[in-house]
Amino acid sequence: MSSKVTSLGKESEISQFQNLVSIFWPSFLVASLGTILFFAFFDPIELARISGYPETSRLAGYTVGFFFFWILSAVSSGLTYYFRQPCHKPVSQSE
Amino acid sequence: MANDNTNSKAAAKGSENSEFYKKREKIYPREVHGIFATLRNLAMIALLGIFYVLPWFDYDGHQAILFDLPARKFYIFGWTFWPQDFIYLTALLLIAAYALFFFTTLAGRLWCGYACPQTVWTEIFIWIERKFEGSRQKQMKLDKGPWNAERILRTGGKHAAWLIFSLFTGFTFVGWFTPIDTLYSDIMTGNLSAWGIFWILFYGFATYGFAGLMREQVCIYMCPYARFQSVMFDKDTLLIAYDEERGEPRGARKKGIDAKEAGLGDCVNCGLCVQVCPTGIDIRNGLQYQCIGCAACIDICDEVMEKVNQPKGLVKYTTEHALKGGQTHIMRPRIVVYAALLIIITGALVYSVATRTPLELDILRDRNALYFENDEGLIENVYTLKVINMTNQQQTYKLSVSGLEGLEMKIQSSEITVETGGVAEVPLRLATDPENLKTASSVVNFTIESLTTEGLSLTEPGRFLGPISR
Repeated sequence: MSSKVTSLGKESEISQFQNLVSIFWPSFLVASLGTILFFAFFDPIELARISGYPETSRLAGYTVGFFFFWILSAVSSGLTYYFRQPCHKPVSQSE
Repeated sequence: MANDNTNSKAAAKGSENSEFYKKREKIYPREVHGIFATLRNLAMIALLGIFYVLPWFDYDGHQAILFDLPARKFYIFGWTFWPQDFIYLTALLLIAAYALFFFTTLAGRLWCGYACPQTVWTEIFIWIERKFEGSRQKQMKLDKGPWNAERILRTGGKHAAWLIFSLFTGFTFVGWFTPIDTLYSDIMTGNLSAWGIFWILFYGFATYGFAGLMREQVCIYMCPYARFQSVMFDKDTLLIAYDEERGEPRGARKKGIDAKEAGLGDCVNCGLCVQVCPTGIDIRNGLQYQCIGCAACIDICDEVMEKVNQPKGLVKYTTEHALKGGQTHIMRPRIVVYAALLIIITGALVYSVATRTPLELDILRDRNALYFENDEGLIENVYTLKVINMTNQQQTYKLSVSGLEGLEMKIQSSEITVETGGVAEVPLRLATDPENLKTASSVVNFTIESLTTEGLSLTEPGRFLGPISR
């Protein structure tokens, strides 16, 4: 793991584990919230029926919905992480 | 052994991860006994007991407490909650939030040390670990040594026990959301759906990972409460603190020497408070973000103080005010406000649940056509009514309509019977002479009146569409 350089050229105190957590854990929380809110109002069986999908269990609907939300928000958190990396490298850092 | 700061060094290294990718150094909390350890164990037994045992109890023909996701109904003993009751969940969330603020302002991280699922499950996993790998000393020795037969058996056995317990935890967790007895019989007959299997494994693996492998890292890196709890602290919040005035300067001393003469404080620098700490901090450095308030350091220091014939309480529960020599105020404005809000919202919730109408009527107008004209020249609208019986007994309702002149109801029977917790779908048509329609869209009222329970009735408005008036 290369060291992460902040824009001041100093080494970051944020561990790699903390970086992973910051991407996958908030997205998990948000996905749980989104799943609860969404499926409290929309029944997955009705959604499948209206959309012409084969009849499937509610548990399947909740599961697919939850992981869909999780992946989506994880991508968002990942992009946030990426865009929070410093833009420039100090002149002294050679490749 | 006297000054073994392995745990705090490990914790320090874990946070300075910048240069190397280095796995966190494991923290070996030393076993501790005392008042607070006993309280923690009691809390653990009570809470785990509730978690593992409660799903097996039945009430009124269904599981007593069941958040039945596939059936979209939540059962709490005699109460049944439907998706339409979602508003109660938001009230519950508000109550949870204010309760959190209330208790945190009052007693700091009491939740973390005694009741939090992460703490509770990590404690039982540590207990299992001690059964297989022995005391802190033995564990450290085992981990430093080679992978011989003993280590394979002990460590392997520990992980196996952890995995089995995790699977059982996953199974029980799913049993709070689908009926646990059905879940059990499905497993026994090999009929469990793939999704059920998936979620049992998912929660099982999460338990194993969080409680067995990650432990204090969850508290330090993942818990949002840990981050903002300090915002809720004030000078009268109960916290765990080291009495610096009394303890410093710290140092080991020979027996029989008068500490004051030697210029030493009460702290004998045994380092035990660091050894017992599950997050590997030194409480003598002051209140830290990583401290989960488990009071293990209090218990062990009290034990040591007893041995050196000093009064207990060198590390103790106290408040900032008290440490500065002042008086702790329990009743302060924030506490009163939080308590008042809690009482009001809880009261509103209880009242609302107690007085809700256990009857729901959904009017679904057929959208395939705005209206149509029948053989008799009357304008007709087609509807499907959903009648939901949220009482605990079978109900028969009488349906009537009003709102327009000359409204005819074409229905199989205007008496609708619905079993308890059931939904009846009732197709019907309403017809009226076009002369009676003043506007293209009129409001009609559907009233269902229970013939079983006196006074139970509900009226809902629906729309009746007709031709645009000339």
